[in-house]
Amino acid sequence: MARIGVFVCHCGENIAGTVDVEAVTQVAARLPGVAHAEHYRYMCSDPGQKLLIEAIKEKHLTGVVVAACSPSMHEMTFRGAAVEGGLNPYLSEMANIREQCSWVHDDKAAATAKAIDLVRLMVEKVRRNRPLQPITVPVTKRALVIGGGIAGIQAALDLANGGHQVILVEREPSIGGHMAQLSETFPTLDCSQCILTPRMVEVSRHPNITLLTYSEVEEIGGYVGNFQVKIRRKPRYVIEEKCTNCGDCAVVCPQVVPNEFEGGLSWRRAIYTPFPQAVPAVYTLDEEACLGLHPLVCEKCFQACEAKAIDLNMKPEIVEVEVGAIIVATGYDLFAAEQARELGWGRFPDVVTGLEFERLLSASGPTSGQMRCPSDGRVPKEVVFIQCVGSRDPEQGVPYCSKICCMYTAKHAMLYKHKVPDGQAYVFYMDVRAGGKGYEEFVNRAMQEDRVLYVRGRVSKVFEEDGRLKVWGVDTLTGQPLEIAADLVVLATAMVANTEHDTLAKQLRAIADEHGFYQEAHPKLRPVETLTAGLYLAGAVQAPKDIPETVAQASAAAGKVQALFSRDELQREPVVARVNELSCEGCFDCQKVCPYGAITPEEIRDREGNLLRRVSNVNVGLCEGCGACVVACRNHSIELEGFTDEQIYGEIVALWPMPERAPERVTVKAQRRPRIS
Amino acid sequence: MPTQALRRQPIIPKPADVPKGTVYVIVEECKGCELCIDFCPRRVLARSPQTNSKGYHYPVVLKEGECANCQMCYLICSEFAIFSTLALEALPTAETG
Repeated sequence: MARIGVFVCHCGENIAGTVDVEAVTQVAARLPGVAHAEHYRYMCSDPGQKLLIEAIKEKHLTGVVVAACSPSMHEMTFRGAAVEGGLNPYLSEMANIREQCSWVHDDKAAATAKAIDLVRLMVEKVRRNRPLQPITVPVTKRALVIGGGIAGIQAALDLANGGHQVILVEREPSIGGHMAQLSETFPTLDCSQCILTPRMVEVSRHPNITLLTYSEVEEIGGYVGNFQVKIRRKPRYVIEEKCTNCGDCAVVCPQVVPNEFEGGLSWRRAIYTPFPQAVPAVYTLDEEACLGLHPLVCEKCFQACEAKAIDLNMKPEIVEVEVGAIIVATGYDLFAAEQARELGWGRFPDVVTGLEFERLLSASGPTSGQMRCPSDGRVPKEVVFIQCVGSRDPEQGVPYCSKICCMYTAKHAMLYKHKVPDGQAYVFYMDVRAGGKGYEEFVNRAMQEDRVLYVRGRVSKVFEEDGRLKVWGVDTLTGQPLEIAADLVVLATAMVANTEHDTLAKQLRAIADEHGFYQEAHPKLRPVETLTAGLYLAGAVQAPKDIPETVAQASAAAGKVQALFSRDELQREPVVARVNELSCEGCFDCQKVCPYGAITPEEIRDREGNLLRRVSNVNVGLCEGCGACVVACRNHSIELEGFTDEQIYGEIVALWPMPERAPERVTVKAQRRPRIS
Repeated sequence: MPTQALRRQPIIPKPADVPKGTVYVIVEECKGCELCIDFCPRRVLARSPQTNSKGYHYPVVLKEGECANCQMCYLICSEFAIFSTLALEALPTAETG
């Protein structure tokens, strides 16, 4: 005989303001199978939970219904309390009379009637609940880090130093990401490569890190603790282990194309390393730039290679790995500057983006660190920096602030003044947002020590006149229109989401926001996790970030993964499909509809080993409890634990008008539809 | 990498030590199959309006200096009527690589 306890929560005025909790309790107390009913101001509070625990013990309850808020809010709380009272946690259920009742209704009488209905159907469900045991699954203690920029490097190193195996996947031939392209970093003016390359080398040498460059994630399956990942290794036509990085192949290569790493400002061969400190230090043959591989045309590199490292028959390779957790660190792209048409990027060679200016400043860049105009190589004497190109511009660009542009523009202006002391730097800004340790002081230093002229206002147009660039703007503090003859114009373009975000997000089952940045689980309290268990974010994939924040988040993600790996087994919800082997006919319709590949055929044999029947078998590790197989099953041989047909029909029947006397128990067999008469 | 990088012209001159070739056509051997024209990866060759004494339109070099000396034409020609050699003034050296 069921002995169910019903607990109605006031939630202060949230529920009690619209629902007559007293009436709900009185009706609940008379429901069949209910042995105890009471209401309390805050059931989730400590005294509220104590009420529940005491009632379970004193009245020997066999099930609990808490009529309160959404289960996503407090189901865990009350299941925990039920366990403390000595019940199986899956004998505790919640009736949502706040989000689905009091918050959305004004009429008190109607809301009370609805709350009573919600409690009634939950009581009927709990009467049919079975105690369930959580499923334990083993954890693969190996992590996958997607993206080899500073975020991915940091996360991989932290995890590897913690003693875990890490697979680092990078799409480009070398790790390093955008940070490797930078000249110096704010606010300390450290040389970016000098602080990054030791980390890159550490990654390549670390025994716990498997580095897969020139590779992309193709497919992700599985769940937290047990992801199956397919990684596509693009053919680089150079055997990494054999290449000595001597460069003989590049010398003889006849194909010369613009170097993407230098922002297209210098050249590279078809067989190349993107930059001298590339990790892994091996050459890569760019299939598109090559004279031709199919059919093979030139093979000069092959003949020049003394180490016999070039394999022109290399094919794409799929590597399958099993990992327990995934860190996404795929970074950002730059706002396409040609979209801001009035600023002339793409039309005038002396209008450059911030990243191109970094390469012009860099000692390893196309000009070897000398400040030169891209058009004719003269030293620029008047340089105009324009901030917020694309950022904070809902019409042409993106509505958000890209966060790093104020700082890197100050850095650019400062470095320019260090290289050309007699030159003049102008900065057009909307606001200077220099929130960060030492950031405000850095901007002030640019203004005061290096005499960078900050002009508050927008630039309306950049155009060419008599062979010089003219910048039209306005100083909104004085109201003066300005016209500056510039040698060089630098655009601080916005950070936008990585172009491949949506294809990867689908694979990862992660949610991207309207701008393509990945959504964290909670903006304040869970900024590193995603709503997909076992999937963590690091760096600019989540939102625009500077290097210190990126590194901090990468370490945080690594910490989360280490916490996950500290256990040998993970507990999963036992809400999974269960097959009745006696009635299963072996049609395998369920297998066709299962989106998780959790259903496989199983053979039933007698003692002599003769095949009797083939039936479906559910892998509880893979099953996510979606219920698609339950719907597909033609003779009701599959049920979802915790949501069995009996429970669901019980809920539906409970919604029929209340009888005068307690109804006889509706008996429903799993294989048959109920007779409702 | 974003496509925008490729819209920009490199600001330093193209490396000078790129291997270059000189194409030689043995006009009288040609049978006008035009395989060399089709297979040239840089489209250096074109069909000549003139014919040789057998009446075939032999190939001519259209873009002098574009040849990469890949030898594809030499490999593909069934009559051994075309070949290329490395242009001597542009021999690559280890220092300029």
